[in-house]
Amino acid sequence: MEPARARRCQARDNVARVATVTHQVPEIFVLWHPACELGETLASKIYAWLRPENGLGPQVFYRSAPAPEAPPRGLPPPLPGEQRAGRVTTPQRRGENLQILIVLADAHLVADPTWRAWLRQLAVDGASSVRRVFIPVALDGTAFNVPPPLGERNFLRPTGANEPDRAERERLVTRSLLKQLTEVLCRLLLRDGASDPEDDSGPKIKVFLSHAKVDGTSPAKSIRDHIYSQTQIAAFYDENDIPFGQAFARVIDQAVSTDTAALIAVQSAVYHRRPWCRFELSRFRRPIADAALPQHWRLPPVLVVDAIAGGESSRGIPELGNAPIVRWKEDAGTAAEQAEEIVTTVLREAVLAAFHHAAGRALHPRPGPGEVVTNWLPDPVTLLPIVAKHGEKLVVHYPGRGLSGLELDILFELFPAISFRSFEESLP
Amino acid sequence: MTERKHRNRTGHGHAVAFSISYQRDDLLARGLGIEHLRELLVRLARPVVRAGAGIAYDGAWRDEPGNFTFVLLQLINAEREDNVTGGPDTGLQIGGLVNHLAWPNYLEVTPAIEARWIHCCRIVRVTQEDAGLTDLVADDQAKSGSDPALWNAAVTLSAMRRLSPHSRSISIPDAASERIVGPRARIVLGGKLAGYRGFLPGVLEEVLVALEAQIPLYVLGGFGGVAEAVAQAFRDRTVTPPLTMAWNDQQAPELKRLRESGFNLPPSGLVRAADTMLAELRRRATEDRPLAEKFATGLDEHDTAELMSTSDPDRAVQLVRRGLERTLGIRAG
Repeated sequence: MEPARARRCQARDNVARVATVTHQVPEIFVLWHPACELGETLASKIYAWLRPENGLGPQVFYRSAPAPEAPPRGLPPPLPGEQRAGRVTTPQRRGENLQILIVLADAHLVADPTWRAWLRQLAVDGASSVRRVFIPVALDGTAFNVPPPLGERNFLRPTGANEPDRAERERLVTRSLLKQLTEVLCRLLLRDGASDPEDDSGPKIKVFLSHAKVDGTSPAKSIRDHIYSQTQIAAFYDENDIPFGQAFARVIDQAVSTDTAALIAVQSAVYHRRPWCRFELSRFRRPIADAALPQHWRLPPVLVVDAIAGGESSRGIPELGNAPIVRWKEDAGTAAEQAEEIVTTVLREAVLAAFHHAAGRALHPRPGPGEVVTNWLPDPVTLLPIVAKHGEKLVVHYPGRGLSGLELDILFELFPAISFRSFEESLP
Repeated sequence: MTERKHRNRTGHGHAVAFSISYQRDDLLARGLGIEHLRELLVRLARPVVRAGAGIAYDGAWRDEPGNFTFVLLQLINAEREDNVTGGPDTGLQIGGLVNHLAWPNYLEVTPAIEARWIHCCRIVRVTQEDAGLTDLVADDQAKSGSDPALWNAAVTLSAMRRLSPHSRSISIPDAASERIVGPRARIVLGGKLAGYRGFLPGVLEEVLVALEAQIPLYVLGGFGGVAEAVAQAFRDRTVTPPLTMAWNDQQAPELKRLRESGFNLPPSGLVRAADTMLAELRRRATEDRPLAEKFATGLDEHDTAELMSTSDPDRAVQLVRRGLERTLGIRAG
């Protein structure tokens, strides 16, 4: 094998290894005390954020009001697999799940002996058949007094809780919470084996920023600055991230392939003409087969930032396929806010991609001959490598509730021998 | 282009009815919010619509959080838009919504609202005359809160629930009459335990009508509300509070007072007394027959019982879809 190809194959192997994100299907439970003022609103926002487009994401359940059978001021319904009153409840969903408990902690929760006892019990519930991870959220200064071991964790600390106007307070806290939560979930689901969101022993989650330097660097720089000043992730930005003496192609190939959660492509008028930009993009838009289950394919998410200035024209880039696009507004006053939205959105896409990968494995643990499973909505460009490997007569299982008729028309025209089945349609 | 149909039309000529309403506290106590109910409704309705079957839902048109009429209309609208792009499915039928509305609720629907959704929805108005009432209340007195207005509204609502499950022709002046297809199956989830209008919670009456019509009935008992009380009664062959007259009198004391002060049901027999309906429900709940047979689900006994208790949305969707495929031949996809 020629060296360049061998390097690419090696990079692919690495991807398969690093990208073997959690295989447990994550389920999210939002816990808040019934008297918590913002609890229900925040839970609803978390639901909408993690299940966009009518449920394209992990299940999100609530635990707040006392269960129907509970006494007044009693506990909410037990979690699947929870041991309560000497009885283990049956796991709700089939397969191996990862329970993620988002605890919205405030004075009401901290002061309530019933809730304190419950949280303590959940944290040490060794009989549980499910893996359980806590993400505590401090909604006020007393939150850190939740019982150990939960109280010993590093809390998410959304800002804006002291804003006097209720609507504005909700908006600020929601925005800050979703930003921090998305980052934690990304770290949890993408880092192989990381069972503890505080476990920072592995490499940082990295976002690749693909941009044409000839444009000037305004949007890309704003995004990079946000990543380094406001998050706990890393960015691959430009040649400064390449060690002296190493070849651009190899380092970019390695960075794109092995330790990067997602790519943000800042698309200017000249982006399509820059060879390195196209190289980066094409590497990222090439699906990767799972090392252990080669019929399972995954594609790291790409988010396109449309930074084409008013009046300028450009050409489309076929590699982009159906990647989502956000518009960059040339307004210096909103650059930081835009950068935050873009980074949070691309990380959310990475979380959803990890979820779909796990869900696909749970739904189709042993695909039959001629079947493949993807963790993205297929488009012509991203299907080509799969067809090249498996041939044209295929059944493609993809996430969600089903492609639109228009998308199916296009896919059938180009791939008449492929049948497309959504995960929803594949429910046995 | 390969002339290949993406969507099957296995639901063509059928209609599936939904009984659903939201009660915040009840749902939250089960670890769920309105988001779950809304999403579940869409997941259940979408394959039905895509397969060409109609949806029957008798919800009001108030734009408020617990209203599902607009959720269904938006779903149908999106599916119809997706079906006009010139591909192989263009021109094939997408299911629409049949919305029965009882007096005086239909007075809230203006021509502008109806015109906006006319491509997705057929509103069928059930009047006081349709209910067999002779002492009519004028429309402008509907919201007066008077005893006759309260009574006639409850009677007409009950009449609507008796009429809506049946196929029937609607007369249109100087035009051909229109045939409304009655539902061939009903899916029930949630349901108000308090603050409902009428003699009984809508879900209870709709369950009874479906049982009497012997159409497949899918009661999703794991999502609270009256549906849970029905599921529990049938599963355990017991009488749960909503199946008793005492409980209903407590929830609707005004109607109890009117009944006791001499207000009568119309003699046509279309509307039955609440205690008669409850007695029939109790009899059916406690009779010694398998659940799968009582509800004609097309599922086996184990799956039917699971459907009536699971609070896992994925599992509920899976079981309803399996049942609809076996009973009506409606396939998803």
